[in-house]
Amino acid sequence: MSAPGFTHLNSSVSYGQNPTPNGCQNGPGQTYQSMHPPAGCYGAPPQQQNYPTIPALPTSVPNKAPATNSAHGANYYWSNQQQHHHHHQQQHHLSQHHVAPSPYNASLSSDAPSQPYATVPSSAPPPSNAHYNQQPLQQHPPYAPSGRYYGPQAYHAPPAPPPPEQQQQQPSLVPAPAVGPGAPIHPIVSYPSAPGSSQFGTLSSFQNAAAHGVMPTQMGAPLHQYSNPRPASTAAVGQPGPTVNGQGSTGHKHYDQSHQASLSYDPYGGVLHGGGGADRPPSGTPSNSVHSSPGHHQGGDTSSSSTGSASPVPNNYDNLEGGSYPDSMPPSDHMTNQAAPYGSYGYPGMPPAYHQGPASLANASPSHEPYGQSGYQPYSQPFPSMSQLSTALGGLSGVPELEVEALRPVNLLQEKNLLPPRALEAPEPNLSPELRKVNCSPQSFRCTLTSIPQTQALLNKARLPLGLLLHPFRDLQQLPVITSNTIVRCRSCRTYINPFVTFLDQRRWKCNLCYRVNDVPDEFMYNPVTRSYGEPHKRPEVQNATVEFIASSDYMLRPPQPAAYLFVLDVSHNAVEAGYLKYFSELLIDNLDKLPGDTRTRVGFLTFDNTIHFYNLQEGLSQPQMLVVSDIDDIFIPSHDSLMVNLKESRELVKDLLTSLPGMFSHSKETHSALGPALQAAFKLMSPTGGRVTVFQTQLPTLGAGSLQSREDPNQRSSTKGVQHLGPATDFYKKLALDCSGQQIGVDLFLLSSQYSDLASLSCISKYSAGSVFYYPSFHHTHNPAQLEKFQRDVERYLTRKIGFEAVMRIRCTKGLSIHTFHGNFFVRSTDLLSLANVNPDSAFAVQMSIEDSLADSSLACFQAALLYTSSKGKRRIRVHTLCLPVVSQLSDVYAGADVQAITCLLADMAIDRSLTSSLSDARDALTNAAVYLLSAYKSNVSNLQQSGLVLPASMRLFPVYILALLKQKALRTGTSTRLDERVFAMCEFKTQPLQQLMRMVHPDLYRLDDMSDQGALLLNHTLVPQPHLLHLSAERVRRDGAFLMDCGNVFYLWIGKSCSDVFIRDVLGCSSYASIPENMRHIPELETVLSERVRAFLDWLQDKRSFCSSVHVLKDEASAKAPFFQRLVEDRSEAASSYPDFLEHLQQQMP
Amino acid sequence: MTSLTMIARVTDGLPLAASVQEDEKSGRDLQHYQSQAKQLCRKLDAQSPERCTLEAGDMSFHYLIAQDVCYLFLCEASFAKRSAFAYLEDLRGEFNGRYGRRVAAVTRPYSFIEFDTYIQKTKKSFVDRRAPRNFGSINTELQDVQRIMVANIEEVLQRGESLSALDTKASNLTSLSKKYRSDAKYLNTRSTYAKVAAVSVFLITLIIYVRFWWL
Repeated sequence: MSAPGFTHLNSSVSYGQNPTPNGCQNGPGQTYQSMHPPAGCYGAPPQQQNYPTIPALPTSVPNKAPATNSAHGANYYWSNQQQHHHHHQQQHHLSQHHVAPSPYNASLSSDAPSQPYATVPSSAPPPSNAHYNQQPLQQHPPYAPSGRYYGPQAYHAPPAPPPPEQQQQQPSLVPAPAVGPGAPIHPIVSYPSAPGSSQFGTLSSFQNAAAHGVMPTQMGAPLHQYSNPRPASTAAVGQPGPTVNGQGSTGHKHYDQSHQASLSYDPYGGVLHGGGGADRPPSGTPSNSVHSSPGHHQGGDTSSSSTGSASPVPNNYDNLEGGSYPDSMPPSDHMTNQAAPYGSYGYPGMPPAYHQGPASLANASPSHEPYGQSGYQPYSQPFPSMSQLSTALGGLSGVPELEVEALRPVNLLQEKNLLPPRALEAPEPNLSPELRKVNCSPQSFRCTLTSIPQTQALLNKARLPLGLLLHPFRDLQQLPVITSNTIVRCRSCRTYINPFVTFLDQRRWKCNLCYRVNDVPDEFMYNPVTRSYGEPHKRPEVQNATVEFIASSDYMLRPPQPAAYLFVLDVSHNAVEAGYLKYFSELLIDNLDKLPGDTRTRVGFLTFDNTIHFYNLQEGLSQPQMLVVSDIDDIFIPSHDSLMVNLKESRELVKDLLTSLPGMFSHSKETHSALGPALQAAFKLMSPTGGRVTVFQTQLPTLGAGSLQSREDPNQRSSTKGVQHLGPATDFYKKLALDCSGQQIGVDLFLLSSQYSDLASLSCISKYSAGSVFYYPSFHHTHNPAQLEKFQRDVERYLTRKIGFEAVMRIRCTKGLSIHTFHGNFFVRSTDLLSLANVNPDSAFAVQMSIEDSLADSSLACFQAALLYTSSKGKRRIRVHTLCLPVVSQLSDVYAGADVQAITCLLADMAIDRSLTSSLSDARDALTNAAVYLLSAYKSNVSNLQQSGLVLPASMRLFPVYILALLKQKALRTGTSTRLDERVFAMCEFKTQPLQQLMRMVHPDLYRLDDMSDQGALLLNHTLVPQPHLLHLSAERVRRDGAFLMDCGNVFYLWIGKSCSDVFIRDVLGCSSYASIPENMRHIPELETVLSERVRAFLDWLQDKRSFCSSVHVLKDEASAKAPFFQRLVEDRSEAASSYPDFLEHLQQQMP
Repeated sequence: MTSLTMIARVTDGLPLAASVQEDEKSGRDLQHYQSQAKQLCRKLDAQSPERCTLEAGDMSFHYLIAQDVCYLFLCEASFAKRSAFAYLEDLRGEFNGRYGRRVAAVTRPYSFIEFDTYIQKTKKSFVDRRAPRNFGSINTELQDVQRIMVANIEEVLQRGESLSALDTKASNLTSLSKKYRSDAKYLNTRSTYAKVAAVSVFLITLIIYVRFWWL
């Protein structure tokens, strides 16, 4: 790159703009791909073909940057042929700072200083998509790493902005094939503080276009963007720098070998595995720990099959978890594949039979039957001749009747009862029974499409987003834990051995992600479960899709850290008023023994108002000493080794402190809050060890670094125009969070505030340090008992839940698929490595994927998430989840496997990103359009029923309801008065809540309780748990004479109708009549009646499935009380949003 | 004071316990030393000297091997050697008492990480000059520290490498000499052929000469 300044068009890189293109893309910064104009979305291909024809306009500088966002902008403009837009585009580029995803950033991101232990600036692993290497731009030397992600950069914007032609010229430098499936998505990280102004040329232009009335109907492009998914991994490729593991050089060769090998199919693998499922070892015991033979003590060095042997000590986390991809992937391989999806774009109309709908499905593939009977071995590897057959049939090999049901066309205008009687389950992937048995639980790992489309073109056609939803650290009942000297992993892609690999023979196995053939190590031949030798396919690793390995010291950069907890407490006047301190102290004293940890556990306390107070709790003191630091501009730590103390040794002092703490500040008149300096102090205090910082804050920070101003205009709360200030006001919190993440410190925020506290800014401290956010609006210990109760329940769970420290997570997927966007709370360290300072069992993640290369040569697609963490007991562990899904070539199969809940959750994440980077109304339009596009795609492609009306496959029949429910959520609604903080909090929840919880929040479950029967009830632990039917969320289902339970995820509402039978009121609530039910009833009394037992059993059963305890609110049918209940009846018209029938009508009008 | 204490099993270098203390003022990068310590533990075996001090720039590694367990202490080079070994002795006594019997059976790294708490406390008492225990313990441990071997960390770590380098060189030599031998043979045969050819040409010429001109 000869003119760096030129490429970074207007980017004077500063920290907040995320110079790491893939580095810090969580949160608002990640949505580039969601911001493409509609032209670039679904209807992309025709326009895309303009791409290469754009004349390479003269430039003075050889510009080899990867196609940046501006390239995209260029594309857009070109397709619109509107010259004046260039002007706009340019303006946008000028006004926004963004970083082109050039390899400069690669060097930046790869040795991001957030890596505290790394001494060697290692080259970040090249991305899994290899065709990047083809591009000429990767060849230049690494830019000298500046060493700080927000450090000053040596390159600055050129004085004169380049002409727009310059930007147009870029696409022409991209090899034409890359335009197809691999066209740019631009890892440009937008600066969240400017939500209205997009980084993305396309979007801004798009807005312009809309403003000009050029494309009014395309307002609000769908959130998912298929056509141009260049993996976000653009940057980290590049310099064939020294891979620390020293495997890079061999990569290419191996790769080729694997391809040759894939041609020679060895039937042995299949045979070997035929009975695999049947011989599963009994795994009922919780955690059947497996120790391999102790005879293999040469471990240490020899186990380097897992980390590479060149350097016995890995130098950073990338290598720890083993992301070291070979530097060079075979380009030739990709050259051919790349073009494929494009060629198949025209996907020559489906066989007519496929248009027939479900009835004809079975006929459509007559060969399906023999296929099913032929004892198809799921482990058989793709080889050319077989592949066509298997992919064509793969989707049908399972249970056709299920599939037919999923494909039954549902006319939404006619069918009114869409809900299943019981809570919706995740669809079963259409796999053979053996594979299905070992597949990962949908609660941990779920894909939006349980049948993966073969090509990007097919995916585009389906108009559904492709992504994964993960809940990796979920509390599990049963988990095989494996202790072994050698953790068997693929030598080229570092995949952990899993149930979906193929054993070619006793000594070799073939990776199911990259198809490399690997050796089976000696140790693996011995099966510790059955104590037999020579049965590698019966090892627990190959029998369970979710396993946990005890990591060897190769996976450690330093000795495992102790569990360390620091509590940062607001003690200003406002906090004293709210009165949380007393309840927090009591809860902590009660749970001191339940804090996860061992004898090394360390705790510390820090309080702040306008000064910072430290507490010396050194063992041997008679009482805690308070040290006050009033210099908040230059914070320092007054004492080094006595502020974070061993909990076991200083237990009494800690108790003393907690007992006296609430009283110490009860007369405080100090109203200021120096949160920023307190956080800086916490950072300094924790950086030697890392650990968890828990912050309690009750107001807007007003002093020192990170002070904020009120940005909310209460009059705008119900505005329909757009919501301002969804992004942070300052990058202080984000910077600090990244520092924390680098030192393995996670920050959790409890915001208890009655006033506006700018959660949008404050939440950044948790967002980027993998923490969690809790928000209790208008918390007051006496005035708001409901919030107090919730606070107590949450804190109790929070203190006692599992925790993992210094964690990293990597998600790998089958070659051909690539992950481009991540959702959740974390910091993306290098292209695909999520750095999680803390990991907790209640947070979930989502990723978006695109199909880079055609998957036609394999019948299965696999995904593996590996989470490396240090447990609170100081054990380094790796939790591995592997999910296997069939690959299909027919659109109807894609629809049959669609997981409507997962799709809704992923769309919600994308909508949040969109509303941060663009605007709320844009996000709302995009959600509506997602439904419109699906309806029209289904109509034109699959269903040939000529009926008018809205038809969807049965698998997606709830999609419009869910979309409508999303639009009525606090996060996304307009027109209804919503506090900014509550809206932002709802957005945070969307990003981090696991799917089940999120779905209950979006679309609560409604049951009628007063006429429950024992029909279909479950018998659990000698208790009969009734299973009432789910009801639609509409007031017409709610009757005066009934009692209805609404399960909203974090709260239950029990609504009692005015004329509810007295029997129910007496037997369940213990009240004599409707009138005598108290106003604020918050529990169901334990009565000895049958009805009460049933109701409580049902509530307990619902409660069992979630981690945070939900409280029960009994609501009477009175105007004052019923609002929260009726607000959540999403199918009804509300003050500002339409009802479900109206919404359907709206969708129908929108359809082309 | 920056320091690093590590306890490892000698047979395979498996780390058993460790304690790291970073000093933010010195800003020294401990990561490098940690990896050196790890490598060192893997290099050590039953033949290694029982007590040794290894110099690594302005830091020193002191180690002590007893009952197949290696106690390693990294500290500034200025720190008294006597105190360092007294400290290691103290650790050895306590560790052996607590976990000695279980050492051979463990497979997981850092199985006894909880020993960290004791290490930290002990270290503090040794490092802190004012601690009364400090003098007492040093006085009782009147061992002759002068005799403790001093070596350089780089040499120790690279000892294995130089041997293997020597090995590769030797094998290279072997293969080269083989090649030389075959080459030489080939050359010999060629020159023999040349000689035979020259002689026969001369003889034929002679015969023809004799046949046609003499007769």
